[in-house]
This record gives sequence, structure tokens and C-alpha cells, in this order.
Amino acid sequence: MNRLNSPMGLLIDRSKSISFSFEGKQFQGLEGDTLASALAANQQWLMSRSFKYHRPRGPLTMAGQDANTLVQLQGEPNVLADRIAIKNGLIATGQNCNGSLANDSDSFLGHFSRFMPVGFYYRSFYKMPFSKYKDSWKYWEPTIRKKAGLGELDLTFKPEYYDKEYLFYDVVVVGSGPAGLNAAITAAQAGATVLLVEEQPVLGGSLTYHRFDEEGVQALALKEQLLTQVAQNERIKVLVNASCNGWFTDNYLPVIQGNRMFKVRARECIVASGSFEQHVVFRNNDLPGIMMSSAAMRLMKHYAVKPGDNAVVLTGNDDGYLTALELLEQGVKVAAVVDMREDKDIASQQCKVSLSAHNIEVFTGHTVYEAIASKGNKKVKGVNVRSITGQGEVSANGFKIDCDLLCMSAGYMPVYQLLCQAGAQLSYDDQGSEFSLKNLPAHLHIAGSVNAIHDLTAVLNDGERAAINALHNIGLALDKVLPSVECQRRVNFHWPIFSHPKGKDFVDFDEDLQARDIVNATRLGYRDIQLVKRFSTVGMGPSQGRHSALPTARLVADATDRNVTQTGVTTARPPFSPEKLAHLAGRIFDPYRRTTMHRRHLALGAKMMPAGNWQRPAFYGQAKDRDQCMQDESVHVRTKVGIIDVSTLGGIELRGPDAAELMNRIFTFAFLKQPVGKTRYAVLTNEHGVVIDDGVSCRISDEHFYVTATTSGVENVYREMLRWNAQWRLDVDISNVTSALSAVNVAGPDARKVLELLVDDIDLSSEAFPYLAYREGHVGQIPARFLRVGFVGELGFEIHVPARYGEALWDMLMEAGKAFDIRPFGVETQRLLRLEKGHIIVSQDTDSMSHPGELSLDWAISRKKPFFIGRRSIDILQAQPQSRKLVGFKLPAHIKVQDQPKEGHLVLADNNVTSKITGNITSCEYSPSLDMTIGMAFAGINQCALGDSIYIKVDSGELIKAEVVKLPFYDPDNLRQQM
Amino acid sequence: MSAITPQEFNKRSFIYHKLTANEYIEIADSALAVQSAQEQVGNSGLSDLSNLLRTGFRGLNAADHLRSADLPVPAKPNQVEVSANGELVLRLSQKEFWILANPNAQRAGHANIDKILAANTPKQQCFPLYCQDSHAWMLLSGKHLSHIMAKLCGVDLSIAAFPVGSIAQTSAARVNVIVVHHQFNAQSCFSLLCDSAAAEYLWDCLLDAMQEFGGKEVGILAASNVA
Amino acid sequence: MKIMNCPLNGPRNISEFVHGGEVREMPNSTTCTDREWADYVFYSYNEAGVVTEWWLHAPSGYWFIAQRHTVSDEVIRTFDASEMFNQRIDFEMPESVEGSL
Repeated sequence: MNRLNSPMGLLIDRSKSISFSFEGKQFQGLEGDTLASALAANQQWLMSRSFKYHRPRGPLTMAGQDANTLVQLQGEPNVLADRIAIKNGLIATGQNCNGSLANDSDSFLGHFSRFMPVGFYYRSFYKMPFSKYKDSWKYWEPTIRKKAGLGELDLTFKPEYYDKEYLFYDVVVVGSGPAGLNAAITAAQAGATVLLVEEQPVLGGSLTYHRFDEEGVQALALKEQLLTQVAQNERIKVLVNASCNGWFTDNYLPVIQGNRMFKVRARECIVASGSFEQHVVFRNNDLPGIMMSSAAMRLMKHYAVKPGDNAVVLTGNDDGYLTALELLEQGVKVAAVVDMREDKDIASQQCKVSLSAHNIEVFTGHTVYEAIASKGNKKVKGVNVRSITGQGEVSANGFKIDCDLLCMSAGYMPVYQLLCQAGAQLSYDDQGSEFSLKNLPAHLHIAGSVNAIHDLTAVLNDGERAAINALHNIGLALDKVLPSVECQRRVNFHWPIFSHPKGKDFVDFDEDLQARDIVNATRLGYRDIQLVKRFSTVGMGPSQGRHSALPTARLVADATDRNVTQTGVTTARPPFSPEKLAHLAGRIFDPYRRTTMHRRHLALGAKMMPAGNWQRPAFYGQAKDRDQCMQDESVHVRTKVGIIDVSTLGGIELRGPDAAELMNRIFTFAFLKQPVGKTRYAVLTNEHGVVIDDGVSCRISDEHFYVTATTSGVENVYREMLRWNAQWRLDVDISNVTSALSAVNVAGPDARKVLELLVDDIDLSSEAFPYLAYREGHVGQIPARFLRVGFVGELGFEIHVPARYGEALWDMLMEAGKAFDIRPFGVETQRLLRLEKGHIIVSQDTDSMSHPGELSLDWAISRKKPFFIGRRSIDILQAQPQSRKLVGFKLPAHIKVQDQPKEGHLVLADNNVTSKITGNITSCEYSPSLDMTIGMAFAGINQCALGDSIYIKVDSGELIKAEVVKLPFYDPDNLRQQM
Repeated sequence: MSAITPQEFNKRSFIYHKLTANEYIEIADSALAVQSAQEQVGNSGLSDLSNLLRTGFRGLNAADHLRSADLPVPAKPNQVEVSANGELVLRLSQKEFWILANPNAQRAGHANIDKILAANTPKQQCFPLYCQDSHAWMLLSGKHLSHIMAKLCGVDLSIAAFPVGSIAQTSAARVNVIVVHHQFNAQSCFSLLCDSAAAEYLWDCLLDAMQEFGGKEVGILAASNVA
Repeated sequence: MKIMNCPLNGPRNISEFVHGGEVREMPNSTTCTDREWADYVFYSYNEAGVVTEWWLHAPSGYWFIAQRHTVSDEVIRTFDASEMFNQRIDFEMPESVEGSL
């Protein structure tokens, strides 16, 4: 295998060969290779096709920071070939090509680029003039998506296990280059716990691939020294192959590694994320074989892959010379170094001298004006070099140099994303032609090249400086003084943009955007950088402006006569790199609550339904038999006896001398004189006078109330009670006992007979234990509270017991009830039964405007007390003319079940679909006991008298006429519940 | 096989349908799992202690009430102290206390502290709480306590930040939970008290989080052997 | 995610808390005008500056009060409600009503 000698190839294991396939062809790579490095080792430089023009693309950064190597794996599209590690049997193909990667029949699109300016697809096809297609975008979109699309989803894939974990550290360091390593070591040595996050598989950052000195020895020695110190310090926890994908308030950092997202909380955060090397804009700058200098360095030092045989280095800084020296050392012929700077701007003349010693020509004040492609644009085969005559301008004539590799070093852009998410601002230094970061929030620090420090000694000092600042914030290393950090080194060339009249001078490789596309956007009036982005899509691709932000800012500034700081870059938002939905969704927590009788319901075949976060039986039977089950269960309750699990009902205990006083202030009724051993209906309104909950108040003793609330409302009722009393300071204890009590309602004419078999210590007769009374006793051995209730309109006992006894209670009642043919009924059946009785369910039959007057609940309001929540609002509302009212209605007999109105259907004022909307249906169901369809609805105030008509607009659009009738529908004298 | 089963008692744990234990003992008129079906104990364990006695009091006189029963009173909220008989005394606010039976009670014989407290409850400003029924009690034991909780809970429960004697009233797997760091047979462990209706949910979440550490359900006799 | 300091439980993720609205003084509901009452019920000050708010630590059911700057979203101070409310509050019977049930 064609690999360079050690010490090249830091990441690979030469003893372990790996075979994989790409585009149907078998390849061999080494363990530690990425797909891109393994393909490059096999001289397969074409890896992907571009998004819009289907141009051939190869490696650009070799760091997973560009979209030039997106490939399709089995089951996963859009995978970065320079990030994904190969393994035996890996099957990858190119994507975004019509036919094969090598012969993409859509590559002709590039020839039409002149006619496909920015916004072309949208402007041309969205509302196509003269088109016979009314909705032309709908017609064209699938075709366009296919031409410009990305990979393909495998809809048969099986989800994997993803999860999350919280981590807590004193100091989190993002990035393990020299600055990050030194910061981590400094912090840990002072006693802080440190998390060091590195995106690459090994620590070291630029120390692993960059050449810092002419001899090329500095990096390796320094790396060994720093890594030893990291390994020896147990306070440093290292996460490699991990990406810190965002910054959230108070240093909350999502770090993704493998299938796990760590939610890291850092007291102090040091971002040493480094900088992205920048490309030069010239014609055909996207050909395979044209890459960042750092990419060529990574290919050699990480993977021992020779990036080419005959190289040209195009540079605007000294780093290009060091790259040329490295290429030479590794046996790559260097045809020339083309330096965009004037000779006087070269900092290290020594490098130039060294190159001359190898007979390498250096052209200063020159640039590559155009790259020359081999057939089909598959690879660079030479460059056209011109001398620079002004900003972005070149001489009329130039010369050609043959090459199969072009390395670009135009400068660096700080990896600013996390910092800008945190609120830092970018400002552009015209002297250094470089962005730097200002206005960092407290507890967030920055070090190294992201801080515009490019000299290795200064970078180390900057890491130490950031760490000491962080340590001081958490009270450590207080005696340490900050080292001074100075760096004069210039790394950015001020205008590495050379537009070509024939284009293909790419600013943004992801979106195939050329220099003129950006300039044209400003000419169309999109002067703001944010508008330029939205119009041209620059920076919207997978690499999110890592390489396009800087040239775009420069181009827009120039085209709009502003400076680059004023122009700026677009907003950085999380995530930093694309993350899978599985990382966000994986192992999501979706709590549910079960009553103690849950297993019994399942055993009886209950159809369960959610009620808030509870699981409750809707009815017992199959979903398809819903109506029949409900009707059978409801008739059973009316004629024999039924049992329903009401454990989910909210329960609140009020104890203490002011228990009655608090009841009186919270609920609308009067409670001070509620007798012990009696229950009373309790309605709760909010400060707006709107009914928000209801329940039953039981007075257990003078200073002890037990009040129920709705299943979904109890949490809020409880919280509001606590909050009001945090102000009122009444002498009362408030407890939410919802989960502490399991409860059932045994209802029906035979209910008493069932209980008489089990209850010895209470006289259950209607004289001794009348309707609305409260008693305490035992069911068998189980201590229980008994409430005579009438919600479903039959003789009924609610039995509340400590939850630990809930299941046994159910078992005992079902066993005793056998003699009376007891049958369980569900929530849906209960809703039908209470509808027959005309009882409202708060939030089903009420909305966020319903005040007691609209619900005919005036009887449940006491005005003979000083205060209750909502009282003043109710007074104001009641003094105004009322516009609607909740009424009962019945449908004419000829309306079929399937045509009956549903909840939410509109009520109209008149028998005319255009007449005014006066209300809506809140409940509607067929009642087997009455043999008619009944319901409740809000109706206009002029149509709510008994015998009036309401008009309901149903699904079909037709109007159904219904008659307003007296409530309750069933047992109008309420005799049955008092039996 | 044990002669005792959970179903033969009226009082049943909120989690008993999930348990795979093969041996129970009778305690406080209910069944307590003492021996897990799995012989091998991994290096983290989860036990259901819901059927052990617990009680609580809230009010200005609650602290004095505890003192009169010779129970220790933690100095500050969110601290736990252990009584002479091994009961855990939790202080959850300035005026709220929970008393949890000694988890070793099946060996020491069950103390009657709940009855003593109930019999002498002051009439004013000391209200008994319903934690026996409102909350389930689980015991997390073994080496990886804070690691397991870090997969469920956003509060730092590492030994350094959350030493023995600490209590955190927080949210784990999106349900409210009281985490108590105490010792059981000289080993660090976490008692978790959560809404009894959400106990089966949290039980499953914990077992799932423990999986990567080889954790599983253990009976209370084995809990202190999890190392 | 933001951290808030609970006076009872210490610093916690903001997801453990429930916002309870601004602390506002209720006008005398029996003597104030309809407009004063509507102001109280419907209007928030929505001040660009420091506001005093109710916050609930949900896992412990503990209400407390926080002073927060609405521009910077900085929580300046949190404290027990007894600092602001240390007296029992009672309501007087409206004059028009006699006796009680």
C-alpha cells in the first residue's frame, strides 16, 4: 500500500487492513482511516458531487468541516467521508448524482450556471408565468428537488439506542490544541475538575498536523509534553470524538459523543476551538486536488497519505511555506509557491531561502487566477498564474504551471460559533484583515487562535491566561498572576478573491455560490448580510459558513461601501455541526401515572386512555365496540350496579384553625358553616371570574377539610392554594394527597347491597347515611372514607382508601359484587351518565371565558362572605348583559348516530349557514336510557329558553336543528341518587 | 420458593407487579422482597422498600415532636440524620420532616416509632403527612450511584457535591423525586422517594439507566452486598 | 439552560421552576372601581427593568419571590415570601352584605 513512512500516519494502524466498498468497487484501507483518507490513499479523489451544478468534489479540509465529501451509507445519508471511520464491510456510495458518481448525467447543469443565477429555481418556477399549472411549484418541486437534492433516507432502518447524561465540571475546555491543553493543565493543577472536549479522535489539535517551525520538530515535542501532563492529572476528564454543539445560558453545553448527548454544566468554560483555514476564490477553485494546506498536512501527518505528486502552494501567509517544506520532505514535488503578498510582507525570509535551496520558485505578488481541469473536471491538472495588480485584479497575461495538487493558505477564521451563541461580537481588524471576538459574557473565556493569537508561545500563554481568569472566578489560584500574551504574527491576506468573468469562482462550495452571486444579491437590494444569506443561501449548507462567511463579509462590505465590521457575519445558532434527531429525541422521558388498580383494568380488557399523564379505562372492551360498550355499561349502572376507578381524582387536605377560612376564600360557595360529616359542591374561579375547577368538599372535623379536584386541574389548584396562602399567612396546612388515596365509585341501585357485605362499622341506610353525607369506616379491614355522591345520578358511594390498599379494595368489591352482577365502567361511560344528569365537566363544557352565570352555577356562589378569588370579576360580569349560556338540547329522533354533532361544532343563531355564530357543542352522545341523542352546548342568549331551537353546523356542512330542553335529561327530580 | 406472596396482604407495594423477586418476608402487614430472582449481584442494585414504614410531620411544632420521641433533628433543610434505631430522619423544609424506617428492620425487628409519634402528635401545628401512600420508596445501591442518576437528573449528585447526609428534592426522568444519600450497612446508597402513581415508570427508567453498569433488581438482603 | 437559586434548595436548572407572574398588590376588591380592578386583573406592568415575581420550585412545592431584570434576564435575588408577606391578611365584609352563612 502506498503510504508515507512513520512518523506520518498518527491515526492509522498499519498492521490492520480494512476492506470496504465505494461506488460498488472494493478498496483496502487501514484501521484509523476515515473513508476520505482511505479513498485518497487509493487515488480516488472524486468523492461527491456538488449540490446545484453536480460538480465533482474531493477533500477540502480533511477535518469534517466542509460538505465536499458527503457520501451515502447504507441507512444513512449525508455522512462526512472525512469524519466517518472505516470498518470492514462498510458500503458507501456517492450521492447527489444522476447515474454514477464518475458519470453524472446532470453535470451538464454547470454549463447553464450563467442562466441559473441565485434564486433561479424559486423565481422561475414558483409562479411560472403563462403556465397552465395553477400551482406550478407543486409540479416542479419534485423534479427540482431531485436535481438539487441530497442523499436518500432508508425508511426501513431500525432505531438505535441513544441517550443522555448530565456532567458537572468546574472548568470545561472546548478544543485540545496547544491553548486548550495548556488551559486544562493549568486549571487541573490548581485543583479544578476539568472536562476537555475534542472533536477529533486524538488530543493535540494543530500540534498533530501543523508545522510550526522550519525544522518541523517543535510540534511533536510540545505535544508529547502536554499530553503527558494531561494523562497524569486525574482531575482532567477527556472526551475525544466529541463535539460541543452549542452554548446555552449559564455554560450549559450539549456535547455529543457516539450515541450519547452529554448535557454538561460548567462553572467556567474556556473555548479554545481554534480557527478554520480559508480558501482563495478563483475560477475552478473547487476541483478535486485543490484543498486547504491544512488538509494536505492532515493527509500526511494523520493518515500517511501523499496528497499529490506535483504540488503548487498558493498562500497569503508564512504557513504556506511551511506546508511546502513538509510536502518536500514527504517526497512531493513542489512546482512552485505562489504568494499573494508582496515580498516585503513575508515575515520569515528564512523559509523562502530554504525553498530556494531546493530550487523551488516563489512567485510573490502573484495568485492562481484559474485552475485547469482534467477531463470532466475530475481533477486539477494545472494552474494559470497571474500577477496581482490591485484588489482582486490581475494582469492580462499569465503563465501555466502543471500540478495535481494545489494547497491554499489564505488565512484563518476563528471558530466563533459557540462564542457568538453566547453573545460575543465579531469585529474586523483592517490591519490584520482578521475577525476577532469581543464582549464575552462572564464565566466564558477564549484562548488560542480563536482569539487571534497565532504564535505558538503566545498561544500557550493565552491558554494559561484564560485558565487563570477562570480559576480566579471560582476562588482558585488566587496568587497566580496573568501571563502577558503578545502576538504580532499576521496570517490573513486581505483580499484573496479573484473573480473571473466566466465564473466558477466559488465562495460557498456547499451551495455552489460564485463571487458574482454574492455581489448580485447586493445589487438586487439585499444589502444586509442576513438578507444576502436568505436570498443567496450563502452559509446555509452543511458547513454553515465555515469558509464562506469571511469572503462573503468582504464582498458585501466592498459592494455596499461599508467596512467589514459593519457588515459582519450572520447569526450563529446551535447546533455547531449537524446532529441527529435521535440525539435530541433518544431515550426521551415521557412519564405516566397508573392507579393501583391498573393491572385489574387490563385483566378485564379495558381500553385505556390518557387523562393528563394518567392512564384510565375508557370502557371495558374493544375500541371498535366503543358505543356498544358504553351503552351497555351505562344501562348496567342505571339498572344494577357498576364500579369505576376514580383514583385519579385530585385530593387536597386542609388542616388547621383556618382550614374553613381558606376554603371560603378559594372556592365560591360558603364553607365556614359547612357541617362536619357533610359534603358540599366546590367551584373555583380564577381572578378573571372564569370557572377553572370543581370538586367536592368534605368536612372531616372543624379544622379538617378534604376537597377533591379534577384529574387534570388538581396540580394547579394545589399550587394556587399554596401561593395565595404564602401571601395571606393563614394558619392552615395544605397537602396534595392525590396519589396517597385510591378511590372507586360504586354506583347503581344495588350499590348499597354490595357495600353492606363488606362494611360493618357504618350504618349505610339512607336515613343514617343520606345523600351528600361523609363517613369514615372500613371496607373489610381497610380504613376508608365514604362520600355519598350523585355525579352519575344513581345511588352512589365514593370510597377513598390509602393507596397501598387500592388493589385489595378493588378485589374485595368485585368479589362481593358478584352476587349483584357488578360490572366495571370506564371514563367514557361516566361521561355519558353525567351528561344524562346534566352535570358539567370543567374544561369540557367550559372554556377560558365561562363565568358561573353562563353555566347556571349562580346557586354555588355565596355573596354573603367578604371575599373569594374572582368575586369582583364575577360581579362585574354579571352586571353586564349576558351573551350566551350553556344549555341542554335533544336531537330529533330521525338524526342518525353517525350524523350527530361532535364537540366543537358551531351553534348558529338561525336556520341559515350564514347566520351568526352564537356558541358551540360541548358534549353530545346517544343515551340508551332515554333512547335519544342529547347534549350540551353554548347557545345565544336569545335561543336558550326551554323549547327554543339551536342550529348546529355539522361535519357535512348542513344545519341540524335541536331543541333546548330542561336539565337534567334523566331523573329530573334527582330521586335516584338520594335512594 | 417462599411461602409469602405480595398478593396475600391488603397492603401492597406500588411496584410489586414489576418485581421478579423469589423470596419475601412479612413486614408491617405486607410483603417485602428480600431475595432477588437473580443470584448474581451486579455492581448496582435497585430495591423496592415501599412497604417499609414511613411517616412525616409538618408544622411549627414538628421538630419538637421529633425531639420528644428521641429522634435527631437535622439542623438545616435537605439534610438527613440517622436515629439510634437506624431510622432516617429527613428534614425537607424548615418545618417538614419525614421519618423512614431502618432499611435493616427485617433483621433488627421493626421499631414502633410511627406508633409512638402518632400517639403523641401535638394538637396544634404538627400535621401527620401521607408519605406512606403518596410516595414509593426505592433504594439504589452499589458503586455507580451518581453515574446512574446523572442519566436521569440535572442535579450534581456526585459524592463531592452531594455527600452522605444530603437530600435533593428534584426531578429525575421528569418526575419529582426526593433523593437521600445515606449509608446502608456502611455502604453509600441513595433512597429515592417518588409519587407512588409514577413509581412503576421511574422503576423502569432506573433499571434502564443501570443497564450499562450491569445493575438490576435486588432484594433488600442483597442490597448491602452490591459492591 | 438557565440556573436559578432556590432559597430552599439552592441552584437548580430553570426547568425545575414554574413562573407565577409578578407580585402585585390586590386593590380592595369591595371598594375599588371597576377600572382599578380590571387594571389589576388584566394588565401587567411589563417593565423593562427589575421586576418582582413569584416562582415555584415544583419538586418541593415551594413558592418564593425573585427579583429579575427583564432586559438582561438576570435573577438579582431570590428570597422567601415571608420577607414580603409577614402579616396575616384578612378581608372585610362589604358594607352591603349583612350576616353570613
